[in-house]
Amino acid sequence: MSPTTTAKHAQVSASRAGSSQSHPLAALGDLLRFMIRRDRVRAPVWVLAVVGIFTAGVGSVVGLYSTPSQLQNYGEISSADEAIKAMAGPGYGLENPTQGAVVMNEMGLYTLIAISLMCLFLVVRHTRTEEDSDRAELVRSAPVGRYATLTAATLWVSGLNLLTAIGVTAGLLAFGLDTTGSLAFGAAAFGIGMVFVGIGGVAAQVATSGRSATAVGGATLGIFFLLRAVGDVGPEWVRWVSPLGWAQGIRPYAQERWWVLLLLATASALLIIGALRLQSRRDLGAGFLRQRQGPAVGSPRLSSPLAMAARLQRGAIIGWCAAIGIAAFFFGLIANLADNLLENEAISDLLVQSGQASPTDLFLATMVLMLALLASCFTVSSVLRLRTDELGGHAESTLAGPVSRARWTGSHLLVSTIGSVVLLLLGGLMLGVGYAVQIGDASEVLPLVGAAIAMLPPLLVLSGVGFALFGMHARLAPLAWVGVAFSVVVGLLAETLDLPQWLRNASPFEHVAAMPAESFAPLALVILLAIAAALIAIGAVAVNRRDIG
Amino acid sequence: MTTAISLQNVVKTFGPTRALDGLDLEVATGEVHGYLGPNGAGKSVTIRALLGLLRPDSGTISLLGDDPWRDAVDLHRRVAYVPGDVNLWRNLSGGEIIDYFARLRGDVNTKKRDDLVERFDLDPRKKSGTYSKGNRQKVALVTALASDAELLILDEPTSGLDPLMETIFQDCIGEVAEEGRTVMLSSHILAEVERLCDRVTIIRKGRAVQSGTLDDLRASTRTSITVSTERPIERLTSLEGVHSARTDDSGHVHFDVDNHQLNAALSYVTGFGVRSLVSQPPTLEELFLRQYGDDVTEDEPEESV
Repeated sequence: MSPTTTAKHAQVSASRAGSSQSHPLAALGDLLRFMIRRDRVRAPVWVLAVVGIFTAGVGSVVGLYSTPSQLQNYGEISSADEAIKAMAGPGYGLENPTQGAVVMNEMGLYTLIAISLMCLFLVVRHTRTEEDSDRAELVRSAPVGRYATLTAATLWVSGLNLLTAIGVTAGLLAFGLDTTGSLAFGAAAFGIGMVFVGIGGVAAQVATSGRSATAVGGATLGIFFLLRAVGDVGPEWVRWVSPLGWAQGIRPYAQERWWVLLLLATASALLIIGALRLQSRRDLGAGFLRQRQGPAVGSPRLSSPLAMAARLQRGAIIGWCAAIGIAAFFFGLIANLADNLLENEAISDLLVQSGQASPTDLFLATMVLMLALLASCFTVSSVLRLRTDELGGHAESTLAGPVSRARWTGSHLLVSTIGSVVLLLLGGLMLGVGYAVQIGDASEVLPLVGAAIAMLPPLLVLSGVGFALFGMHARLAPLAWVGVAFSVVVGLLAETLDLPQWLRNASPFEHVAAMPAESFAPLALVILLAIAAALIAIGAVAVNRRDIG
Repeated sequence: MTTAISLQNVVKTFGPTRALDGLDLEVATGEVHGYLGPNGAGKSVTIRALLGLLRPDSGTISLLGDDPWRDAVDLHRRVAYVPGDVNLWRNLSGGEIIDYFARLRGDVNTKKRDDLVERFDLDPRKKSGTYSKGNRQKVALVTALASDAELLILDEPTSGLDPLMETIFQDCIGEVAEEGRTVMLSSHILAEVERLCDRVTIIRKGRAVQSGTLDDLRASTRTSITVSTERPIERLTSLEGVHSARTDDSGHVHFDVDNHQLNAALSYVTGFGVRSLVSQPPTLEELFLRQYGDDVTEDEPEESV
């Protein structure tokens, strides 16, 4: 080494040492690189999935609505259907629709939600979830600044968010849509993503674990969704309480309102600064929600792996019940708005001619599907507790006792199944109750409960996929989320994306009759149950053959 | 003498790594058996295979007379285990977890449990997410010691305990041994092994390299001798079995000698008029370091005197 390089080297390490002692952002660059390394699969999957599905949707809409009359038709139906507004957004520009406005109505809201989830999950993953392990302690014991981890996570996820927003904009421009509108939607996507970067950061400070931070963030997103839905079908001001409402309120392709971006920018800046300030006030590993003491002795009921699985998942089941119950009640309340469609003579004639069910029944059937898709997130995350149990070392302690693998896995599967049944029952019930309150007639409650419970077989197929993967190897199990994501895309966007039928058929939900719009079809349910049973059998055999831990 | 644990020629590979490479191990019923080896030697893999959590590629394993892979559940009623890395459910209290594991195997012996919780000075009300490593280990130890299991398998159970708790642990194991129960103790704390264990097995790179009582092991190695003589000892290093000979400033000669050559070496030395002689049997630590050192050879280069 030459003297000059030695001197330079010394200088660099001196400045490093100096900054690391005092600087709150010390080692920011190293942490950032490390996060990118950890997300080398996850990040591209998120960005490509969101951008890819969105772009495919744009292409499909542009193909489906190419003539003025097709556009006009779409506009009439969509602006008449108030219930769809609650699920899709205010439908700006549909009175005189362009292709851009149709894309926004079909895909805009779901894309904004997907980006919000991406930002939330990834920020929590790099902050609070790390603290649950001993890793964060190791990192912080190195010369790493107090704010460095949160700042690095914020920067990294913001970068991904920006990339996604650019990708989405490029997707719109690629199909020749109006430049201003495309840029406006890109900005809206980036804005809502930044808000959820901030919400993820704040949730990571408030909650006591990664899991609860994700739950806090997810609940916030749910509330934003409901507020904007209320605003879209009821008093308009409510929309302006929800950042999702702001993102839509930029009105891409419909006389853009750029100033609304200021709301998103201000909110995300405040949230990010707030997260950093909270971070400086709390101990590593602690949350602002305090951990209480537990009982000194175990309850006699906590005496089996089944009781333990129920105890471990109790919180999640209660949380999901609240989310699905509230959502279902709200969907029920707005369901009969769909019948506004019938006031439009042309549409009403069309429906009668094609022998289709009433718009309200179609809407209710869609809502049953939505609730089932939400419940499937619980089902799969609950089956994946097996993986947490194994990788966290709990399985080792349990199986070192007189507990067979079948009993251990069976306990989690049973709790997951019972939880799913409870969620479906509650979803159907609350949907029915909401609808009954609105129309003053409770006769639809029981049929809706039945329609919801008919969604159990597809949930079991998804949990079977998760369990079969887990049986092969614990690290494979998260691939079950691909099944959930695929079912969500098919369930919500199959028409928009103009997916071929064989692809739709790969979603287990596709085979369940859309009650109450269609009539009960038991054969498909039996087949789905058989598939679920086969998958669970595969998992059970596989888990008995492999090493644990 | 019946056998509690027996492994014969057990091989377990993880991809290209041979974690167990023809391991043989015998633990007799009623003994406290020390299981020693450097990090990564295969101690925890052995224990997991013994518990039926891992399936060996070849070889036979017998735990209390049965196959732990096939009969795991029944066997585990008779076995208590303390893992090397104690992971607990973060949002359950220590007391809840202790009682849960006790109920899995039958009933809670509340008296024994309360007694152990007090002896180990554990706060059972705390959520386990807030426990230190030592406290998590205490939870696992209380669980294992409160059971009536006839075999205790302990994987470095005291690595997070303070010296006071370490003493209490040793007392508890002493009591277990008095009851005639079997203990397999993997540990790095050699004083603990020396005090507690009847027999010891040393494992290295997935193979047992030494096994026997501490006396057996000592007999197979070297004794350190410090001697001062009237006349300088000539040609000491040319004797068979003498190693590391050197003379210090005060004229004392230090050397190690293989135990089977001890008599010959001492006879030779007395020929030079012994004024004083101190002999030290090898500590377990020395036994251990000799087995651990990667480049242990019989023909070490020796300094001349």
